[in-house]
Amino acid sequence: MSVLSELLVILLNGLQQGAIYVLLAVGLSIILGTLKFVNFAHGALYLIGTYAGLFIALDVTLSSGKLQEWGYADIGLGWGFLAALILVPILVFAIGLLMERLLARSFYDRPDTDQILVTFGLAIVVQELFRVLFGSNSLPFNQPEYILSVIPVSGPMTLPIVGQFPRWRLWVIGITAVLVGLVYLLVEHTDFGLVVRAGTRDAEMVRLLGIKISRPYLVVFGIGAALAGVAGVVGGPLNVVNPTVGMDILVPAFLTVVIGGVGTIAGAVVGGLVIGLTQAALIGLPALTIGSFTLNFSPWAQVGLYAIAAIILLVRPQGILGDEEVAP
Amino acid sequence: MSDPKTTSDGGTVVADESLTSRWERIREREATVVGLTAVAVALFPWLFARAPVVSDVLLGYQSLATLILIWGIFAIGFDLLLGYTGLLSFGHAAFWGGAAYAAGVVANNVSADPIVMVLSGTVFAVLLAWVLGFLSLRRGGIYFSILTLAFAQMLYYMSAAPLAFLTGGENGLTGISVTPLFGLFHLESDLPTFAGELLGTWLYLYVGVFAVLAVAAAYRILNSPYGMVFRAIRENEQRAEFVGLNVWRYKLMAFVISGAFAGVAGSLFTIHGSYVPLQSLYWTESGEIVIMTVLGGTASLFGPVLGAGIYLYVENIVSGVQQLTVPFTDIVLINDFGTYWHLLLGLVFVVVIWAAPRGIWGAISDARAFVRGLVGGERR
Repeated sequence: MSVLSELLVILLNGLQQGAIYVLLAVGLSIILGTLKFVNFAHGALYLIGTYAGLFIALDVTLSSGKLQEWGYADIGLGWGFLAALILVPILVFAIGLLMERLLARSFYDRPDTDQILVTFGLAIVVQELFRVLFGSNSLPFNQPEYILSVIPVSGPMTLPIVGQFPRWRLWVIGITAVLVGLVYLLVEHTDFGLVVRAGTRDAEMVRLLGIKISRPYLVVFGIGAALAGVAGVVGGPLNVVNPTVGMDILVPAFLTVVIGGVGTIAGAVVGGLVIGLTQAALIGLPALTIGSFTLNFSPWAQVGLYAIAAIILLVRPQGILGDEEVAP
Repeated sequence: MSDPKTTSDGGTVVADESLTSRWERIREREATVVGLTAVAVALFPWLFARAPVVSDVLLGYQSLATLILIWGIFAIGFDLLLGYTGLLSFGHAAFWGGAAYAAGVVANNVSADPIVMVLSGTVFAVLLAWVLGFLSLRRGGIYFSILTLAFAQMLYYMSAAPLAFLTGGENGLTGISVTPLFGLFHLESDLPTFAGELLGTWLYLYVGVFAVLAVAAAYRILNSPYGMVFRAIRENEQRAEFVGLNVWRYKLMAFVISGAFAGVAGSLFTIHGSYVPLQSLYWTESGEIVIMTVLGGTASLFGPVLGAGIYLYVENIVSGVQQLTVPFTDIVLINDFGTYWHLLLGLVFVVVIWAAPRGIWGAISDARAFVRGLVGGERR
């Protein structure tokens, strides 16, 4: 395998892993940027997206959990991936709207720490609900068969975690690019986006102009949630599916937001790419041998992600594309 | 100050006198608080695990009593940061788990003396807190929470893979055998005679001493001018800055102090279990200390300890309850009640933040004030 194709695989893997972070981070970032609301339950929305995607796309037989005990071991619609990709965002959008109305709204005026705590609590409740219903076991979420075929990137790929490079990973990158592009257009180039951006600057003034800012806020929250749902569907086949996955993905997603710069969609994209590429590069790079000393990069993959983040924040505390922090 | 005779005197002498008398009062209060804590710590294992009727109802056991004290120390330190300084760290697992690993590594390679273990664990936690605090405090508010979370995760992944030769990787750090205290007292053996009945093991006594010291230290810090600055920062950071205080340095010190408490607790955890699971660095562990502290009640000395007790009690004992029945009957309310413990705790946590931000301790003191109001009590 030539060096070039190896680099290509690293690049594609980085983009794919980064794409999932980007989907989550854009949602987090627009909620954080416009509503000033810290959503630690964003991972829970991803979790809901994954499980909902699983049950719409496939037929699943449960082997643990209350549902199985109660006699609902065979669940799922078996409608395929396209159905999941359309239905899950709608479902999670609705959940997002409910969350905004019932929970988030009453916390807009309370301190940041209260927002973090209550959404963290909510995330635990959702996670435990799934654990009780579906059990702690990981469920199989197979990649969609009609796009499962391997793309030959100059010969078979046998890298440890990459395995072969299925078309599904390219789809993930494509879907992310389209969705993020749409959100960008919506926020930057429509009247709706104008109101939202104005509300970010000065919500009071927007209200004085006679615009009900609460409705755009609601929609922004819903869109952010829907993106997390999509991330769950497309990420499901690539990561494990179990109740803790939502919490596990929340940390890198937040990191993406912070190193990219809060409130900018471009920042979320850049941050996601940085983190995804770092991770893929450390996993994919061959071991470095200097004399008798061998440096293996792959155990450092997860550490490297946080190390890169630390370095970026030391140099630019406001994030790569973030604005200089102005005193509140 | 409340003495009418001195206030009617007027002049500077009064302020002087009132200041000394005030200091006297604080000293007295401190002695009372620490004394009462010591009594409570001494009575707790007996009430919890050995008292005739009470312990049968509670289903408590000695080892859990020790564990509650250990997490209690951790929670007191965490509340110095969250409750008093207003900084929400989501990365305290780094100090708890880091100290646990440091104590364990020292025990395996240098000396397994319990005092050496606590010292080395605490020193490690303090140094780590200094570095992570320095990095995380570059950003305030939510960014601080996220950064602490991220750095703690970094430590988790470091001990999971690249440092596995030192930490045991996925398996955790095993093979820790703690030597007797002062070379004389085996920590796992019972105390002699009456003390054994009351306190149980030497380990409990050892942990108990640290718990009382932790309360004393926290009380002293909070009632000193230094602690006042912490509260000032929580109330209004900008104003504290304008008054001329170096807010950043105070915040860093609050972070380091709470890291030290976490370090003591983490080292004791290693001594208690002679094992460090990799899980002790994972970010859910940071979440647990947050839940304990908030559930019990922030900005109070004993609220967090109460929270730690409740959390561990539910985790270890309520989770084992098979059926929830109506008391004194056989009517089953919920089957497999224990499996829902985490879910229930999560729900209670959300409700507490929503409705009672001062936690259970705050609710208790509100209730006490209400009752006192009804009876017409005369304090203050």
